[in-house]
Amino acid sequence: MAVTVRPVTRPARGLWEQVYLIEVLRGLGVTFRHFFVNLWRHVLALLGRRAAAGAVTIQYPEQPAVLGRRARTRHRLLRRPDGAPRCTACLLCETICPAKCIRITAEESPDPMVEKRARSFDIDVGMCVFCGHCVEACPVDAIHMDSSQVELASYTRAGMIWNMESLMREKR
Amino acid sequence: MIALAWSAVKVGYALGFGFGLAGLLGWVERKQSAVLQDRIGANRADIFGWRIIGLFHPLADGIKLMTKEDFVPRGVLRPFHGLAPALSLGCGLLCLAALPFGGEFQMAGRTWSLQPWPSPVGLVYVLAFLGLGVHGVVMAGYASGSNYGLLGGLRGAAQMVAYEVCMAAVLAGPMFLYGTLDLQEAVRAQGRLIGGVLPAWGVFTQPLAFLLFLVAGTAASKRIPFDLPEGESEIVGYHVEYAGMKFGMFMISDFVENIVVCGLGAALFLGGWQVPFVSLAGPLGAVLMLAAFLAKTCALLFLLMQVRWTLPRLRFDQLLDLGWKSLLPLALANFMLTVWAVWLLRRLSWL
Amino acid sequence: MAKTIRFTLDGRTVEAREGETVLEAAQRCGLRIPHYCWHQALGNPGNCRMCNVEVEGAAKPMVSCRLQPKEGMVVRSAAPAARRWQRAALEFHLVDHPLDCPVCDQSGECGLQDYYMDIGRYPSSLRDDKWHMGKRMPIGPHIMLDQERCIMCTRCTRFVSTVSQSHELGIFGRGHSQVVDVVPGRSLDNPYSGCLADICPVGALTDRDFRFQVRVWYLDEAESVCPGCSRLCSIWAHTSTRRPWHNQGRRLARLKPRLDPEVNGPWICDEGRYGFAGFDSDRLGRVLRLGRDAAELPWDAACDEIAVAWHRVVRHKKPEGLAVVASGALSNQDWAGFRSLFVDGLRLSRFLFAPEPDQVGAEDGLLRRRDKVPNLAGGRAFGFGAEIQSLTWQTLAEQIEQGEVWGLYVVDRDPLKVWGEKGRALLERLDLLVYQGPRKGLTGELARFRLPATAWLEEDGEFTDFQGRVRGYRRALEPLGQARPDWEIFAAIEAAFHGGGGL
Repeated sequence: MAVTVRPVTRPARGLWEQVYLIEVLRGLGVTFRHFFVNLWRHVLALLGRRAAAGAVTIQYPEQPAVLGRRARTRHRLLRRPDGAPRCTACLLCETICPAKCIRITAEESPDPMVEKRARSFDIDVGMCVFCGHCVEACPVDAIHMDSSQVELASYTRAGMIWNMESLMREKR
Repeated sequence: MIALAWSAVKVGYALGFGFGLAGLLGWVERKQSAVLQDRIGANRADIFGWRIIGLFHPLADGIKLMTKEDFVPRGVLRPFHGLAPALSLGCGLLCLAALPFGGEFQMAGRTWSLQPWPSPVGLVYVLAFLGLGVHGVVMAGYASGSNYGLLGGLRGAAQMVAYEVCMAAVLAGPMFLYGTLDLQEAVRAQGRLIGGVLPAWGVFTQPLAFLLFLVAGTAASKRIPFDLPEGESEIVGYHVEYAGMKFGMFMISDFVENIVVCGLGAALFLGGWQVPFVSLAGPLGAVLMLAAFLAKTCALLFLLMQVRWTLPRLRFDQLLDLGWKSLLPLALANFMLTVWAVWLLRRLSWL
Repeated sequence: MAKTIRFTLDGRTVEAREGETVLEAAQRCGLRIPHYCWHQALGNPGNCRMCNVEVEGAAKPMVSCRLQPKEGMVVRSAAPAARRWQRAALEFHLVDHPLDCPVCDQSGECGLQDYYMDIGRYPSSLRDDKWHMGKRMPIGPHIMLDQERCIMCTRCTRFVSTVSQSHELGIFGRGHSQVVDVVPGRSLDNPYSGCLADICPVGALTDRDFRFQVRVWYLDEAESVCPGCSRLCSIWAHTSTRRPWHNQGRRLARLKPRLDPEVNGPWICDEGRYGFAGFDSDRLGRVLRLGRDAAELPWDAACDEIAVAWHRVVRHKKPEGLAVVASGALSNQDWAGFRSLFVDGLRLSRFLFAPEPDQVGAEDGLLRRRDKVPNLAGGRAFGFGAEIQSLTWQTLAEQIEQGEVWGLYVVDRDPLKVWGEKGRALLERLDLLVYQGPRKGLTGELARFRLPATAWLEEDGEFTDFQGRVRGYRRALEPLGQARPDWEIFAAIEAAFHGGGGL
């Protein structure tokens, strides 16, 4: 492979920058401006005056978290029209999973039109790295990461493991 | 008996000054950075639903650090591992004794001094105990039995020694000007007005020294941008093997050193307890003195905190270069200049 | 010395033996030409057309499985034209092949998948629906048939007509509706039916016991030999240990024949292939002293206690009263340790190593042997069966009853199973009963000392087959708990008798 060399000239530091002091003062100017402008806005807000917000912080538990449209959240197993899980237990998601957080066991399906189905399908969201490879790998579009659920904490390790029934629910 | 009681009151005030401001600094550090970074900052700790803009957080921190397991790793040098934080904090607190929180005032036919320990060599005392603080850092690094801690301690030693030399050299200029090593006298020396309008504060008579003092003081108290000994997030520091309140003591001692440096700056460059154009006498004057000194110290603390959130950390070679190759020569030059100027002005009989 | 023919294949000079085809010569040299219907033991009907090659001077594609090389012939199997022909043949095979790789057990070791990724990768040009035929038809005790997946290579029908000669399978219908099926009224139950799952290049014939247990890419394999009878067929042991929740938690997933022209060719029998099902059940992993003061022991303490117990009895009883029951499943290493301990060391004379009554079974001219224990031949090499003769189960029982035998050392055998309920009374008469083996069995419960030994997949070792060949097998699994190979246990006990250290 040919190597492309692109020389990058560092911006030279003149005497002005070498004396640091002036640059430091400029930097302090920026931070002081932010400080006092924001402080002024906070004070205005405190006094009940409508003004530009002094902070961009989202107060998370009270205000809802803002998720991107394509955010990867807790997995969701999709169903067939008859309500049975779409998953055919091909184990491709388990195979591709870099965190090894998916555990599937397979069995014969009683449905004559379906050959194989999952007996159990567990995801340990405590180990999941939310890479989305399982969604990419699924040949039957049975797993999505669009439940919009990001509050997955649990007091036990076992509580972090989601089984097939809970994964098919919209919310736990 | 009365003298003893008065001393106790003064010591109490000095300790309150140190610990109160240190506690407050923990809050300021969070809130000031939040405001200047368009954030809200810590605001969750509450008592009965009262949050009062996060002021309970230092309290919560204190309770947390106190109740946390004091974990001592295997392989530490037992007595020294425990001694180091105490030494660090103790040295910082002792410095407070010589700070001129106020001058003297007359009440009930007696003269009361507001300085906890009026000493003719106050400055030397403060510098000495600031310097002794190095031992706490080195001891912590060495006693930890950890390479990271040891390296942090060595970095701390090199840095603090370098900058305390600088600080002494910087302060030589103003002290020569004031003609004393007594901090109380130095404050009084700034009480005059130059040309009837400008207070003869060190910041006006010794501007270069003031600037150098701020840099050296920040470095000597291990604050960003000179926080290489601890390097909380990236480079592991000397207190890596400390947990709970022992770690908390290091943190507080950092704040206390910062307060000492700012108090020293306020005394030597901002006229100490002096309020320009106002003569202070009686109990009311004493309160004003205390307030003036507190306000000036806080202003300096605020400035240093702002610097902390403005500048990135220096590299270690840059740090030592700055100390030995820039700060020290400039400080010595300032001293020479002062000596020469004073000599000249005396010759011209202006002084 | 047969005549050799030199020809050029893909730019390489290849020497073919007389009578060899281009495909066979290429296989021998490690050059891969795609093929389905050709099989080294089943001939070359030339009906899959996958092995098309370009021959210089020939106008048409030639099928390399039927092409006899000529001196100086130039053959190209990877030339663009050859690849185009192969791709066309592959696309034709896949016209009616369902794309159910996700649920197909063959996927991961499937000829269609391999060749599609190697030489296929064409976009589908099919507009019509695929033909649907019978799926998941259990056509025998071991084999599941899926007619849709079949590509009509006829390997299976050739197998049942030439190898097993049981003729259960046939091709029925014509054209698109052509299917493989069992002959009406028959079931695919010949003793070699498992081999059909091996030779089927696609997922049309799959193992029923392996069905949906574990995907093949999770398996590890180890070279081994089948301990099912004294033929000692070469096998691959496929183990599933990376994901313990697969395969119902069992570590051994399946056994596959390992090509060995001298012993078993490409086949193994169903008894051997499916006889491992209980490999992980009833296993021993702890050294135990049982009885009134039951306790778990470290190895050296257990060996010392066995030696002490022996010395306590022989103070007033004859040493020859200790009989040893040994299994023919001991490896050559184990036999050596066995002889050193019991014959040369303790100078015992009562041994029982004849097969248990149910360890004698069917025999045929292909692979299966009568004695279903692997290594009696190895024991014979150490004198067991030669100068040292085996007792029978009957005589041993009588000797215990008469009090001539006061102790029993059982190695991987189950006297209680052989003797039935009267055996319990016999065993309770004994002063000392030591049980050593990989499985507990019935006797393991009554033993005073119970020592866990490794099973054959958990140790490196060698067997000697009935023709005198020494056949090595490799360790495929970790031993369970404290389990040790039998020879190590024999050596440790011998050291304990000498007062030396144990394991």
